[in-house]
Amino acid sequence: MRFLTLIVKNCLRNRRRSFLTIFSLSISLCLLGVMAALYYALFFGAPPTAQARRAVTRHKVSIVFPMPIYYREQIRKVRGVEEVAIWQWYGGAYRDSRDQRNFFPRLAVEADRLFKIYLDYQIPDEQKQAFIRDPAGCILGRSLADRFNFKVGDKILIKGDIFPFDLDLTVRGIYSSEESNEDTLWFNFKYLENALRNSSRLAAGTFTILATDAADIPRISKEVDELFANAPAPTRTESEYSFGLSFLSFLGNIKVILMSICGAVTFTILLISANTMAMSVRERVREVGVLKTLGFQSSTIMGMILAESAIIALIGGVVGLSIAQVLCIGIRQGPAIVDQTKTLTIQPPVLLALLGLSMIIGISSAIVPAWNASRTNIIDALRFTD
Amino acid sequence: MDDVVIRTRNLSKEYVRDEFRVVALKNANIEIHRGEFIALMGPSGSGKSTLLHLAAAMDRPSGGDLEVMGSQLNSLSDSEIARWRNRHVGFVFQSFNLIPVLTALENVELPLKLTHLKKGERMQHAATALKLVGLDDRMGHFPRQLSGGQEQRVAIARAIVTDPDILLCDEPTGNLDARSASEVLTLLSRLNKEFGKTIVMVTHDPHAAHFATKVRYIDKGELLPEGQAPEDWKALPN
Repeated sequence: MRFLTLIVKNCLRNRRRSFLTIFSLSISLCLLGVMAALYYALFFGAPPTAQARRAVTRHKVSIVFPMPIYYREQIRKVRGVEEVAIWQWYGGAYRDSRDQRNFFPRLAVEADRLFKIYLDYQIPDEQKQAFIRDPAGCILGRSLADRFNFKVGDKILIKGDIFPFDLDLTVRGIYSSEESNEDTLWFNFKYLENALRNSSRLAAGTFTILATDAADIPRISKEVDELFANAPAPTRTESEYSFGLSFLSFLGNIKVILMSICGAVTFTILLISANTMAMSVRERVREVGVLKTLGFQSSTIMGMILAESAIIALIGGVVGLSIAQVLCIGIRQGPAIVDQTKTLTIQPPVLLALLGLSMIIGISSAIVPAWNASRTNIIDALRFTD
Repeated sequence: MDDVVIRTRNLSKEYVRDEFRVVALKNANIEIHRGEFIALMGPSGSGKSTLLHLAAAMDRPSGGDLEVMGSQLNSLSDSEIARWRNRHVGFVFQSFNLIPVLTALENVELPLKLTHLKKGERMQHAATALKLVGLDDRMGHFPRQLSGGQEQRVAIARAIVTDPDILLCDEPTGNLDARSASEVLTLLSRLNKEFGKTIVMVTHDPHAAHFATKVRYIDKGELLPEGQAPEDWKALPN
């Protein structure tokens, strides 16, 4: 603490350089913060409260294969299952399907059961009832409604591609949710039933299960899958949280991708910081000689240089992670690729780890120049001119 | 302990620069007594600064013995030497060497940071030292806001703030105009006479040497006997 004034003043010695270093560090730490938050949310995060009780059953081979509708009643009989609902992916095209901005998930669901399973959905009761009553009704997430400026009572026409008919839907309600994504269009499963009456195509894409207790999900999953192990359509059941993550695997090995980006960013920061510290120390070789003449020991001088670098890196870290936290809020409010991004945040342990990392980067980047400066002979240091 | 502050016996220093061996100091024998103000004179490259650096333990001798304030410096480790230097030696450079980001007061306080004094005490000591050199009205000024003479006086305040036994000055007036040089030399003379400080000053300047109580000459690395000057130099009366 005795040398804090000198350390801080040395940090501010070349303000422009310090600012640019802090700026570049903060941009890198911001990127690292968002990546780490995403990594934590995907692979270490606990599912949100409402989602923790939900599981999804799909065909064991692939989600594209349907399952018989009668599975629903058999699943319901499994101990600990409170409710089951059918989902069916409709696909289709809204406006011009070549424009990716027109894409959003369109799913058929048993309307009366949807709200018993998605307890986190907030929707006025009259809208809920209107949706349940109307076979051609649909509800939309708030984010989706805002994106296309849909309002209750609007007509939405979806052109069929997987199914041989179009959807002519009426918006009956708009839901919002703190935990689930708000980009889905749910329409009444009765629409499919009416359109595919007596067709073998009337089937379930997935079953969504609500368990009485989140702790029962592994057992329920096992029992459900055992139930259909020898059936024509064997199943695979997993928590809704894991089900959501499985979609990410389409993008590749997300863990490796995220870790590679984080590694590259960390290495880049290290180089930036090391370059700055090397320049900064080189300018002060003569002063190191003066400090030694006054009686400063090599270890004290080395400690001061390391502390200076650590302070600069820490400021960069605090600024960068603050920006990252704001970005996480932005991502939470944007379209959700997976439900995990709805609660994206830099958790306190991640925050502390990243601040620690920024200090380690600061210290390790200054080790070589600090060591060289502290070992410089006084006479050589005093003769040094840059 | 006798009153000899610095005693050297056959003190030598050699450098190896690239493949060349340079003898900077050859078998120097000198005794400097408490309260003396000695000027070390000689042409550039004669070895006078080398002797000063060795006396301040800023460099290690190649041979011979060096005893300063009763300590055999050859036997001390680097960290012991650093502590010893802080306690016993004040050093004044030709080019002032103040830390540019610190104010005059903070520069003077710097050596005291290595002591056990508290912040308030350190500031009080630093302020007293600055007052002694006549710069109590420049405490908050940064080096760039001071004249050369003022900077050197701050450097002297920094050198004396720990109340060292010896003050070693390496061409303290070399970068100053005549008036500032005179002020600095008067100050050094006062420190010697009023406060009994032992001062060793390296200089080329015969006028500066007049302020010393004794003058010794070094030529080509050899410390000449007392009263003897190099042939091409005009000897000064002691």
